[in-house]
Amino acid sequence: MATERASLAEPSAEARMSGAARAQGSIGAGIVLRDVVKNYGDFRAADCISLDIRPGEFITLLGPSGSGKTTLLNLIAGFQKLDSGEMHVDGAPIDHVPTHKRGFGMVFQSYALFPTMTVAQNVAFPLRMAGVDRATAERRVAETLEIMRLSEHAQKTPSQMSGGQQQRVAIARAIVRRPRIVLMDEPLSALDRRLRESIQIEIRELHRAIGSTILFVTHDQGEALTMSDRIAVMDAGRIVQIGTPVDIYRHPQNRFVASFVGESNLIEAEIVQRRGATMALRNRAGYVFEADAGHGIEVGRATVLVRPERIAIADGPGPHAMPVTVTSALFLGEVLRIEARTDSGETLLIRCMDAAGRSLPAAGERLHVSWGAADCWVLA
Amino acid sequence: MSAAATSFADQRHGSLRGRLSNPALLLLPAGLFLGFIYLLPVIDLVRLSVGGPTWSTFFERVFSVPLYWDSLVRTMQISLTVATLCLLLGYPTALLIRRTSGITQILITAAVILPYFIAILIRTYAWMVLLGRNGPVNKLLVGLGLLSEPAQLLFNRGTVLLGMTAVLLPIMVLSIYSSVSRLDAALPRAAQASGAGPIATFWRIMLPLTLPGMGAGFLLVFVAALGFFITPTLLGGPGDQMFAMHIVQQADFINSEGFLQALAVVLLVITLLFVGVAGHFLGFEFIWGGSRAAGAAGQASAADAGEGGAPRRSLLSGLADRVGWPVLRLLGRLSPAWGSWTVFILAGAVIATLILPILVVMVISFSSASYLTFPPPGFSLRWYEKFFSDPNWMDAFWHSTVIAAASAVISVVLGACAAMGIVRSEIRGKSVIMLLLVSPVIVPPVVLGLSLYSLFLRFDLVGSIWGLASAHAIGGIPLVVIIVSAALQGVDRRLEQAAALHGASPLTVFRTVTLPAIAPGLAAATFFAFLHSFDELVLSLFLSSAQLKTLPLMLWADINYQLNPVLAVVSSLEVLLVVIGLALAGPVLARTRAGA
Repeated sequence: MATERASLAEPSAEARMSGAARAQGSIGAGIVLRDVVKNYGDFRAADCISLDIRPGEFITLLGPSGSGKTTLLNLIAGFQKLDSGEMHVDGAPIDHVPTHKRGFGMVFQSYALFPTMTVAQNVAFPLRMAGVDRATAERRVAETLEIMRLSEHAQKTPSQMSGGQQQRVAIARAIVRRPRIVLMDEPLSALDRRLRESIQIEIRELHRAIGSTILFVTHDQGEALTMSDRIAVMDAGRIVQIGTPVDIYRHPQNRFVASFVGESNLIEAEIVQRRGATMALRNRAGYVFEADAGHGIEVGRATVLVRPERIAIADGPGPHAMPVTVTSALFLGEVLRIEARTDSGETLLIRCMDAAGRSLPAAGERLHVSWGAADCWVLA
Repeated sequence: MSAAATSFADQRHGSLRGRLSNPALLLLPAGLFLGFIYLLPVIDLVRLSVGGPTWSTFFERVFSVPLYWDSLVRTMQISLTVATLCLLLGYPTALLIRRTSGITQILITAAVILPYFIAILIRTYAWMVLLGRNGPVNKLLVGLGLLSEPAQLLFNRGTVLLGMTAVLLPIMVLSIYSSVSRLDAALPRAAQASGAGPIATFWRIMLPLTLPGMGAGFLLVFVAALGFFITPTLLGGPGDQMFAMHIVQQADFINSEGFLQALAVVLLVITLLFVGVAGHFLGFEFIWGGSRAAGAAGQASAADAGEGGAPRRSLLSGLADRVGWPVLRLLGRLSPAWGSWTVFILAGAVIATLILPILVVMVISFSSASYLTFPPPGFSLRWYEKFFSDPNWMDAFWHSTVIAAASAVISVVLGACAAMGIVRSEIRGKSVIMLLLVSPVIVPPVVLGLSLYSLFLRFDLVGSIWGLASAHAIGGIPLVVIIVSAALQGVDRRLEQAAALHGASPLTVFRTVTLPAIAPGLAAATFFAFLHSFDELVLSLFLSSAQLKTLPLMLWADINYQLNPVLAVVSSLEVLLVVIGLALAGPVLARTRAGA
């Protein structure tokens, strides 16, 4: 999905980068965290976190506010000190290296552009600090502004630019040194939706072009799914699951991940029977359905995740369909979002594509729904 | 025909009502009051100063007599030194306030704010106690064996500089802090993430961003120091005469009319000149603690940032690059802990300087000795008894209270109306009007006192309670205008519009929506106007009579005559008043600031 859209944006960041710049393009560094702990008084913000970030990977820390994702980012950036644990970048410990010597790039939620400097001076700042000579610095700044399509704004001050432009300047400043690691702290949360989507694509392309490891923090699950190679879902100071976007969305390991990422129906059901790789379950309304029995739950109750778009609406009553009563229905454009109640009183969320001949059901209308074994995921 | 006539009458009636309900009219009372008691006398002062054989006769005398010329140069030197010292000591203190949090931050802030509201006279007196022959500093030096006998530490240039710096430091700290606290906390982090070490972050990011606050603080301190009278008189020796002191001395000679006014005009013009130049660069908002830079950043006004900012900035940064940066690179080789230690030690010294004298005076007020000595030989309440049983002190206390209350009423009524007028009307030239309303703050009190004296003689107001209260209100009104207009700006206009939409008349809107919202601000303004009058000394020196002594006047006479512990009692009571007032007004003030 992301790739498709990326190819529409023209010209791409890769195309805009000169051959020389691409050849220099640094290969990202790997980050290893071992049992990282950080307390604020009695509050444990990071609770024994271990994480392996592969070189050049785009990894996202996803979680609600207070889940510890920003704490983890601040620890990696060096703004805060670890209470215990270890941090290594490319095999070397960095716990005692001050922020300004870590050589990472960072993008802030508030942009944090220096208001007294022009765009060009802001982008040149990391190079000046690194002692790069003036001519080289000017060339690199021009190149980077070109990549971020900011060349004509070089002499403006940040206050003269829109939010989206300011964020692109902030990104330019973070990548101008071609850092091994770029940290991004909810960089898109202050932008409106349309702009957010276009900058998402831009960041994604940029990642491919420069090859740095990107550690991205967000509370927006949609953003995490679109952009990341891997997502680490955080809750209460711990990483609760780490995996590819598809993995996280389709195979969440617990209720928290299932309900935090995407919309979900969590169905309480009783295991009726096991047949090899599949098992039969019955929900409270008496509807019997099949699911993969991968998780080794033998008997008793299970929680089953069925995503709203996996629920099919049947033409009429049948042995493999469950009758439900519509409580509300919304037309969202390409999809219909239907809320219904089962006969045992559970709420069921259904999404289906808008299709020819399909009308928006009225509240109180009876529908018959079903799902297959491949549409269910039994939570551990 | 008749219908047409009625509607015509209605219309006229409406437009008359419309004109009367124009909020700009609210500016009128304060305008008339200040015009009569502030502008007119100052104009009269200028008229007298040019009333010699030729217009410049008196001025030529001012500039040709070495006594005055030397004093003018000395005043400049002292003011510049004091402003520089305040800047060097104030900056680390402001940084420390920002870096600390919780109870430490509250304590440090209190240590800075508390002295700010205590009378200059009392703080100067505290230094006299601290540095006196029997004071703690002498005792300490003798005790350590550094001195064989107590030395005369007072009455030299050093003590003048020390005293004035200590008195004016809070202004600097608050001014710098207001610009430091507005900084986005992510900015220093962004600098670090970009590879800037602590020194580079300070030099490249923090310093340029806090420059407006530093500039404003420097100017406010410098201008206040130019007109200083109390501290140099009490702490200085014969060689430390400042210009304002000459004006007071000359005022005792009847035959110096014209020349006396010329002296005052010189001081006034110099003050206004500096304020004018500073206002041109910083925006005149610096006088009342506003900031043009902040406003521009908030509204992202493209034109403003584009034309005004760029050339000056490049000149400054060029200078910074060539001179400052190489020096700082050398410092960069020191361990990073040095930076924090410098801030810590300097700021610690500042806080001790601000709060220690006050503590010493409070301890001494409970002394059992019949003269000033520290540490006191024993505890007693004898000086409190003496204060409360002496009719002279009690009379002065009563006079001061009545005058301050009357002055607070005048200031709040006129000032609050004017603030409404300025915030709520569509009148043109708002900033000029605001500048005029607030300008009494920068006029040296000595000049104000002298100009008022002839007005008071003409209308027989000298030594009258209402006369003094009105004179004190000249300085009280600006305080009220500043606080109340900030509070008013914090009120959401849409709330008022919503009330009106639901059928409330303008008066009901004011009573039910606006007034409750600005009530805390009004309360704070009342307290500060009261305190301003209660502490006022210089105007009272010119305008009161032997029958109407105020508390500061009694203190002043006693300090010059003999330093006794009764003064410490008065000082302690004043500190108590300020602490209680601040404790009550503190939360209110914080909210007002946040609103502004």
